Amino acid sequence: MDHPAPRHAYVHVPFCRHRCGYCDFALVAGRDDLLDRYLAALDRELMRLAAPLVFDTLYLGGGTPSHLGAAGLGRLWGLFADRLVPAAGAEVTLEANPCDVTAELVAAAADQGVTRVSLGAQSLDATTLRVLDRDHAPDDVRRAVGLLRSAGLAVNVDLMTAAPGQSLAAVVADLDAVAALDCQHVSVYCLTWEKGTAFESQRRRGTLAPVDEGLERAMFEAAIDALTAAGFAHYEVSNFARPGHRCRHNEAYWDCRPWEAFGPSAARLLGNTRTTNHRSPTTWMNRVLAGADATGDVEAMTAEEAARERIVVGLRRRDGLGRAAFREASGFELDALAGGPIARWVAAGLATDDGSWVRLTRAGLLVSDSLWGDVLG
Amino acid sequence: MAIDCKHIRNFSIIAHIDHGKSTLADRLLERTGTVEKRQLKEQMLDDMELERQRGITIKARAVRMECRHQGRLYELNLIDTPGHVDFHYEVSRSLACCEGAVLLVDAFQGVEAQTVANAYAAINQNLAIVPVINKVDLVHARVDEVLAEMEQSLAIDPSEVIRASAKTGIGIDDLLAAIIERIPPPAGDPAAALQAMIFDSHYDSYRGAITYVRLVQGTIRKGQKIRFLRTGVTHDVLELGQFVPQRRACDELVAGQVGYLVCNIKDVKQVHIGDTVTIPGDEAAPALPGYKPPQRMVYCGLYPSEGENFEELRDSLEKLAINDPSFEFQPESSEALGFGFRCGFLGLLHMEIIQQRLEQEADLDLVQTAPNVTYQIKKTDGETIEITNPQDVPDTGQIEEFRQPVVRTNFLIPVEHIGPIMQLCTDRRGTYLKTEYLSPTRAMLTFDLPLAEVIYDMHDKLKSVTRGYGTMDYELVGYFPADLVRLDILVGGKKVDALSIICDRRDADRRGRAIVKKLRGEIDRHMFEIALQAAIGTKVIARETISAMRKNVTAKCYGGDISRKKKLWAKQKEGKKRMKSIGSVDIPQKAFMAVLDQGTER
Ligand SMILES: Nc1nc2c(ncn2[C@@H]2O[C@H](COP(=O)(O)OP(=O)(O)OP(=O)(O)O)[C@@H](O)[C@H]2O)c(=O)[nH]1
Ligand code: SF4
Ligand SMILES: [Mg+2]
Repeated sequence: MDHPAPRHAYVHVPFCRHRCGYCDFALVAGRDDLLDRYLAALDRELMRLAAPLVFDTLYLGGGTPSHLGAAGLGRLWGLFADRLVPAAGAEVTLEANPCDVTAELVAAAADQGVTRVSLGAQSLDATTLRVLDRDHAPDDVRRAVGLLRSAGLAVNVDLMTAAPGQSLAAVVADLDAVAALDCQHVSVYCLTWEKGTAFESQRRRGTLAPVDEGLERAMFEAAIDALTAAGFAHYEVSNFARPGHRCRHNEAYWDCRPWEAFGPSAARLLGNTRTTNHRSPTTWMNRVLAGADATGDVEAMTAEEAARERIVVGLRRRDGLGRAAFREASGFELDALAGGPIARWVAAGLATDDGSWVRLTRAGLLVSDSLWGDVLG
Repeated sequence: MAIDCKHIRNFSIIAHIDHGKSTLADRLLERTGTVEKRQLKEQMLDDMELERQRGITIKARAVRMECRHQGRLYELNLIDTPGHVDFHYEVSRSLACCEGAVLLVDAFQGVEAQTVANAYAAINQNLAIVPVINKVDLVHARVDEVLAEMEQSLAIDPSEVIRASAKTGIGIDDLLAAIIERIPPPAGDPAAALQAMIFDSHYDSYRGAITYVRLVQGTIRKGQKIRFLRTGVTHDVLELGQFVPQRRACDELVAGQVGYLVCNIKDVKQVHIGDTVTIPGDEAAPALPGYKPPQRMVYCGLYPSEGENFEELRDSLEKLAINDPSFEFQPESSEALGFGFRCGFLGLLHMEIIQQRLEQEADLDLVQTAPNVTYQIKKTDGETIEITNPQDVPDTGQIEEFRQPVVRTNFLIPVEHIGPIMQLCTDRRGTYLKTEYLSPTRAMLTFDLPLAEVIYDMHDKLKSVTRGYGTMDYELVGYFPADLVRLDILVGGKKVDALSIICDRRDADRRGRAIVKKLRGEIDRHMFEIALQAAIGTKVIARETISAMRKNVTAKCYGGDISRKKKLWAKQKEGKKRMKSIGSVDIPQKAFMAVLDQGTER
């Protein structure tokens, strides 16, 4: 395969203390006994690299990578050694559960080159945290941010909205509380009801109800307004950053730059082919260790399909899509692929177009999923 | 060597649906050695894809067989017919080519509605009837009772009924003997001027229209010139032959025989079923009476999903029409759906089959509007107009009398269900006529009912009330005045012509409410609020709202998320393709059927 070497890498760490009711990520809860097997499999998967991967960004996601603790993280880094090598100024993000953030862990992380920690805070309200099945308290978040900041690490806070029973006032309070934290980045996710989760089965039984769609929208708009007012720039559907603190790793995804990925459910994009590893952590481990193929889904796109996808992920960014940059990166004219739909969106007030850049308006962003069908065609 | 008329027998197999006609044809093909055993398939004459999918016969099929009887060779021309009421026209055309009919009755089901209807069709054409009680192999066969039912309802002498099983082969030899002995040979003189009836045809993309004929008089030879009387056009006979059951060419066909003609006819408009084939010139034979056009019971609009396929649709309809003369089509246009055709059918199954044949055989994607029956309006200026499309109903001021079709409906049911069926018919504004008992346990109930009350779901209701044991049959008695109104549906304030219906004024509220409610479930939310209204004239009688989409945005789009999401978006896109935009509202195709929703509280 002929494509530029990836400069971004993702490693999926599939361990959590317990599984939160809304979560459908690939992970095992309460199975720390599988750690050795996981590390062995990861070691094996990293052998796939023909040459050391020099990265600009590395993202350790999960699950909860912080659940490995200082010692576990040390072993993980041992595996990376000369296979995943940071370029100068590399961004390294570690996802962490607030409870796991101890002085020892922070020191180890900083020591290993972590530059950014993404905290799974979800809320700073005790009731919401309980509804969401989380095992930390609001103060754990404040303490964690303090520890991370004093070690010089940048902090992202994940916030969730539309938890069952949550009011708009509760969301506004959460937003104020987050704005008061010394964090550089905030991701706000509206709760999604995924198949196979405990939440979803309770919903079907009628014991748990999603919030009304109008309220969901109000919460999302409140987040945009509050965080922008607090000095964060809204730069992608769910992401907000203080100047200079965008997540470069995620930006690589949205630029459709190639990236490598390791671990169960991890997806890599090499050329125009996106390959996703098997979702089940145990199946992935077993297959990798047996020397078998551990990939699940393979999506080989034509150049045009890839270009169309680039339009979608591009327009989810608040900067929008520049015609020149699009042409440069994809080899296609934006208007040849999406001229019609774009004109319709502009006419309907869902997008703006100044001739060189196309951006969704807030109204467009709020209903953007219903626009993509026309582009992916 | 030409066969002597004396040794030809032409017969149809007729029965109620599923009583085993096609299976019996298999046995006859097998026993006469027409088809080798290893090539025999079940219901082998049902070779149309839809017939095999649905396990029913849709098209009548002719086959020539040979059979030796008492030392003589006979030619038997069999026509297997469909049993479903919607395809009755196939049966009546087949009967017109025959001197006899094999009437099958299922030994368990007994005499059913189409048994009676088809038997009378044959009796009225003076055909010799060979009655057969089929499926005697069934453990639950009730041979004696069924014989009594046949005697009671059709005056069939039990001693003449052949006991057979199309499955095991019991009675097949007796049946062959009875066909030869009881059915008269065709009359007709091979030396007379050619006179042949076109009873069917189909379009072959290589060979043009292939016509199926029954020779009444004269002889037809390969290479000769023939003339179709309707159009007066002359053709060369490039090939002729018989069905065995595939086409097999021969050199000549004589009076009494059934076969096909290939004349390289590319213009399907030259072929008319029921037309007479003769020779050019003064010696030509006169036209045969042909067929009475069938009564179309339901109409619906068929529109190409992609507007530009209109011509293609016309072409396909024309080709299909020469294979099925029982549906008709007229171009029409709708504000909502563009250019298409208003098509008339014999029933809902027929409508469904035609739509599927168009989609499968011609690879077209169609939007269909809800079916309706035909109405008559006597206008104040004295003119009487036929209404096949609710859109054409004039203003109330111009209507003196609004009439609807009424059908005489026979229900053949177990006696314990008489009460519920009476109730059902009364609810539907039926007029009770009579009850006849076929046996102590089975009765025939006759009602006059508005066709509109019968055609959509009466059959399903009957089946559910009688747990599958009831059957029905109906025939048009005429058009009668009723208190009818046109109910319009407005989507986003715009009247959608293709959604209008005609209904009884007393049902308008219920229907209106049911339709807008159903539409609410069919139309996806849009960026804006959509009002759905049902109205008579300017008076709105029911209303529903589809609230605007407030939020629809994927929160997470990292790494592998997009693969999953893209599949979802692509699915939405597929769904959208099958929609029609009216104003700025996307209406899914199946929403056009929503108007069939009757509502529950009758
Ligand atoms: N047991 C038994 N089953 C039979 C016999 N004849 C037909 N069947 C079954 O009855 C069903 C209907 O048979 P068909 O031959 O398709 O009936 P048909 O009358 O041609 O049906 P239509 O053409 O759709 O009206 C099939 O499942 C046959 O296998 C028989 O003699 N005995
Ligand atoms: S901690 Fe995060 S990854 Fe783990 S179960 Fe909860 S939500 Fe899922
Ligand atoms: Mg059949």
